[in-house]
Amino acid sequence: MVTVERDSTTRADRLLRAARPRGITPTRGYRVFQGVNAVILTAVVVVTLYPFVNIVARSFSDQTEIIAGRVNLWPRGFNLTAYRLVMSDPMFWTNYRNTVVYTVVATAIAMVLTVCYAYVLSKPHVRGRPVLVGMAVVTMVFPPGLIPQYVLVTSLGLKNTIWAIVLPGAINVFNLLVMKSFFESLPVELEEAAAVDGLNTYGVLLRIVLPLSKAMVATMVLFYAVSFWNSWFTAFLYIDRLDLFPVTVYLRNLIAGATGAGNMGGTSDAVQSAATLQAVTIVLTVLPILFVYPFIQRYFVSGVMLGAVKG
Amino acid sequence: MLRTPPRRAVLLAAGALIVALAACDSGDPDDDAGKDLAGNRAGAMAQYKVGDQFTATEPLSFSILYNNHPNYPLNENWLMWTELTKRTNVKLEPVAVPLSDYEQKRSLLIGAGDAPFIIPKTYHPQENTFVSSGAILPVSDYIDLMPNLKDKIAKWSMKPEMDSLRQADGKYYLLPGLHEKAWQDYSIAMRTDVLQQLGLQVPKTWDDLYTVLKAMKAAHPDTYPFSDRFSKPTPGGNLLNIVTKSYGTYGGWDYQHATWNESAKKYEYTGATPQYKQAVEYLHKLVSEGLLDPESFTQTDDAARQKLATGKSFVISSNAQNIVNDYRPDLAKTIPNATIAKIPLPIGPAGEINPATRTENGVMISRKARDSKNFVAMMQFIDWLFYSDAGQEFAKWGVEGVTYTKDASGKRTLTPDVNVIGLNPKGTKHLQKDFGFYNGVFAYGGNLELVQSFFSPEEMEFQKVLNARKTFVLPPPYPFTDEEREQATLWETPLKDHVTQNTLRFILGQRPLSEWDAYVSELKAKNSNQYMDLVNKAYERFKKNNG
Repeated sequence: MVTVERDSTTRADRLLRAARPRGITPTRGYRVFQGVNAVILTAVVVVTLYPFVNIVARSFSDQTEIIAGRVNLWPRGFNLTAYRLVMSDPMFWTNYRNTVVYTVVATAIAMVLTVCYAYVLSKPHVRGRPVLVGMAVVTMVFPPGLIPQYVLVTSLGLKNTIWAIVLPGAINVFNLLVMKSFFESLPVELEEAAAVDGLNTYGVLLRIVLPLSKAMVATMVLFYAVSFWNSWFTAFLYIDRLDLFPVTVYLRNLIAGATGAGNMGGTSDAVQSAATLQAVTIVLTVLPILFVYPFIQRYFVSGVMLGAVKG
Repeated sequence: MLRTPPRRAVLLAAGALIVALAACDSGDPDDDAGKDLAGNRAGAMAQYKVGDQFTATEPLSFSILYNNHPNYPLNENWLMWTELTKRTNVKLEPVAVPLSDYEQKRSLLIGAGDAPFIIPKTYHPQENTFVSSGAILPVSDYIDLMPNLKDKIAKWSMKPEMDSLRQADGKYYLLPGLHEKAWQDYSIAMRTDVLQQLGLQVPKTWDDLYTVLKAMKAAHPDTYPFSDRFSKPTPGGNLLNIVTKSYGTYGGWDYQHATWNESAKKYEYTGATPQYKQAVEYLHKLVSEGLLDPESFTQTDDAARQKLATGKSFVISSNAQNIVNDYRPDLAKTIPNATIAKIPLPIGPAGEINPATRTENGVMISRKARDSKNFVAMMQFIDWLFYSDAGQEFAKWGVEGVTYTKDASGKRTLTPDVNVIGLNPKGTKHLQKDFGFYNGVFAYGGNLELVQSFFSPEEMEFQKVLNARKTFVLPPPYPFTDEEREQATLWETPLKDHVTQNTLRFILGQRPLSEWDAYVSELKAKNSNQYMDLVNKAYERFKKNNG
C-alpha cells in the first residue's frame, strides 16, 4: 500500500513539472491566471473559515459583547463561563457519549454491509445481479414515506434502542454504487490467482480485495462517519428518551429553542448565556469529527477520484 | 453541520397518511357509543365536582406528549411529578420531544397511530389537520366529565371563544387554555431617556408614534429611530400584527384570510380590505420618511437588538420578558444611563381595544383513549390539572411551604431560595429547572390574579391600561367541512404568499400604492373571491345549524 502511496505522489510531481517546465519562465498569461486563482481561492478560504473562527471566538466571549456585535475574529471579554456551563450539564455528556457510540457502531455495520453488497454486485457472473442493483437503486428514486418507515421501525420493536439509529441508514446507495464500480475496476486476474492459490470467496475479499481498496474504504468510512455524526433526524424520530439522544438533537433544541419566540419562562440567566452557549456547543460538537479529516484526507482525494473516473 | 429536513415534505406525508387513515375510518363505531361510559370508569371518582381534589381510586398512569424546553430540560425527579402522583394517584409517562421540532413529531405520531393519550401544547387551528383522520377525540362530547372546565366557561362567559373552536360537525377537538381576561403581551418598547431629552410624551396612538419618531429623527438624523425584530420566519411578525389589529384586521403573525365586516354581516378578504390598505399606508409612510428601518422586515432578532444596544435605534417590538431579559442587560453594557420601557399598545382607527384573545394553546386527546377503561378518570384528571384553581396554582407556583408561601390575604411569595424569571435573583434553586413548575406544558391560563401573579409592577401597569380597553369581539365561526378545507388550503398558500410579498413591496416603496387596485385584482385571479364564497357559505351554515 505504501508503494501505491509513493506512486501517486510521484505522479503528482510529474504532472506539476509537466505544467511548469523547468528552465522556461512561465508566460504572462499563466502568471495572471495564477494570481487570479490565488485571489479567488483565498477568498473562498476566508468565506469558509470565517464563520467557524467567528463561532470559536463567540464561544470564548462575553454575552454582551456578542450582542453589541463586537466579536469578529477574536474573543472579546474572554471568559470560560459558557464552557463550564455546558460541560457541567451531565445530559450533554450522556448525549455526547451516545453520538460517539452510535457513530462507531453505525459506521462499522454500514461498512460491513456496504462492502459485502458492493462486492457481490461487482461480479458480472452473479445471477440476478440486475435485480440486486435495481433493489438498491429503487430506494434512491422512491424513498419510503416517513410514516410507513416509522411504523416499520416501531413494529420491529426498535424504537428507543440504538438499532433504530444504526440500522435504517446502514446502506447508502450512492456509497454502494461508488464502491461497486471501484471493485469492478480491480483486475480480475488478481482474484483468479488468489482463487487458484486456494482462497475462497471470503478469503479473496478479505485478503486481496480489501487491502487493495484502502483508499476507497477510508473514503467510505469518512462519508458514513460524518453523516452519522451529523444526523439528528433519525434519532428525533425513533427516540423518546432524553438519555438516548445524540448530541446533535441536544444542540438543535438548544439553538432552535433558545431563539424560538413565544415560549414562556425563559430565565434571565439562561437567555443571557444563550448565544455563547450555542457557540460552545457547536464547537464541542464539531471538533472531534473535524479532527478525523486530516488523517483520512490523503486517502480521501484518491478515493473519490477513483470512483469518479470509472463512472 | 445540521441539515434541516424537508419539513414541508414531512408534513405533506403526514397529511396524506391522515387522509388515507380517514378513508379507513369512515363508518366509525365510536360515534353511536359516545355516551355509554359504564366500561370506562375504572379509577374514576364517583362524585367529582368543582372544588374537589381529584384522586384516582387506584394507581393509574397516562402517556403524555412532552414538549421539552431547552431552558428546563425534563427531569424525572422533579417535585412536580412526585407531588402530582401524591395528590392525584396518577403517574404521567412523558414522551419527550425536543421543543425545536415538536409539531413535526406530533404529526408523525398521530399519523402513525402511535400518539400518547394526552397531547398538550396545541395551538388552534393546528388541530384541524387531525380532525378528519378520526385520531383525535371530539372532546366537546365529554365535557360533562369536566366540571371545572364547564364552570369556567360559564363563569367567564367563554361560549363565543369555545364556539370559535368548533368544526363543521359542531364539535370541538381541542381543550384550550382559558384566561379570565385577555392578556396582550406584545407591544413596542421605547428608549424613555431619549423621549425625556427631547421633551416628548409617550405616544398613545400610532399617529403620536409617527410624531415622536419624526422628532427623534430630527435630533438624530443619521439613525432609523425604529428598527424592528420578530421578522423570522414571518416578516414583520409582531409589527404587522399589532398595527393591522389597531386598524381592525389581521396581519403578520396572526394573518387570517377572512376579516369580519360587522355592517355588511359577512366576511371579506383580509389582504384586500380598506383597513389593511390603511395599515400598509401607515407603515409605508414611516419607511419612506426614514423613520422605520427598511431592514426591519428581514433582519434577524440579534441584528435588531444590536442596533438598539448601540444607539442606532430607539424603538423596537417587545414583550414583557424582552425588556428584562434582552434590552436592559444589552443597554446596561453599552449605554449605561439608557432607560427603556414597553409602552401601552398604541391605538388606531379600531379604537381602544385589547386585541388579545382569551384562549391559548391547549390539549388534544387521542381517540384511542376513549376505549381505555380509565377514560373517565383521565378526563377528571385533565380537568383538575388544567382547569381547577388548585391545579392551575399547583402547575404554576408549586407546593405551598416548599416553593412558595401564602400570607393571610392570599398573596403568594416564592420561598427565599427559589428563583424564577428574575423574581428572586438571590435564590439558588430554580422553580422550572429544579422543581418542574411553571412549565409551559402544564401551566397556562387561569384567573386574572393567577395569570398576573408573576408580573412585575411595571407589567401590572401595562396590563391595567390594556384591561381597561374593550376586549376584542370575536368574529362568528365559519368551520369548513373536510372537502372545503382541502379546497381552501389549496387557495390559501398562494394567496398568503402574494399578500405577504406585496405588503412588503408596498411598505418598502418597491411598488407604488397607486397600484393597490391592480394588486386586489391579482388576488382575485388567485381565487380570493371563491375563497370568500366558501367562508361565507360555511358561516351561514354554521349559523343555521347552531343558532
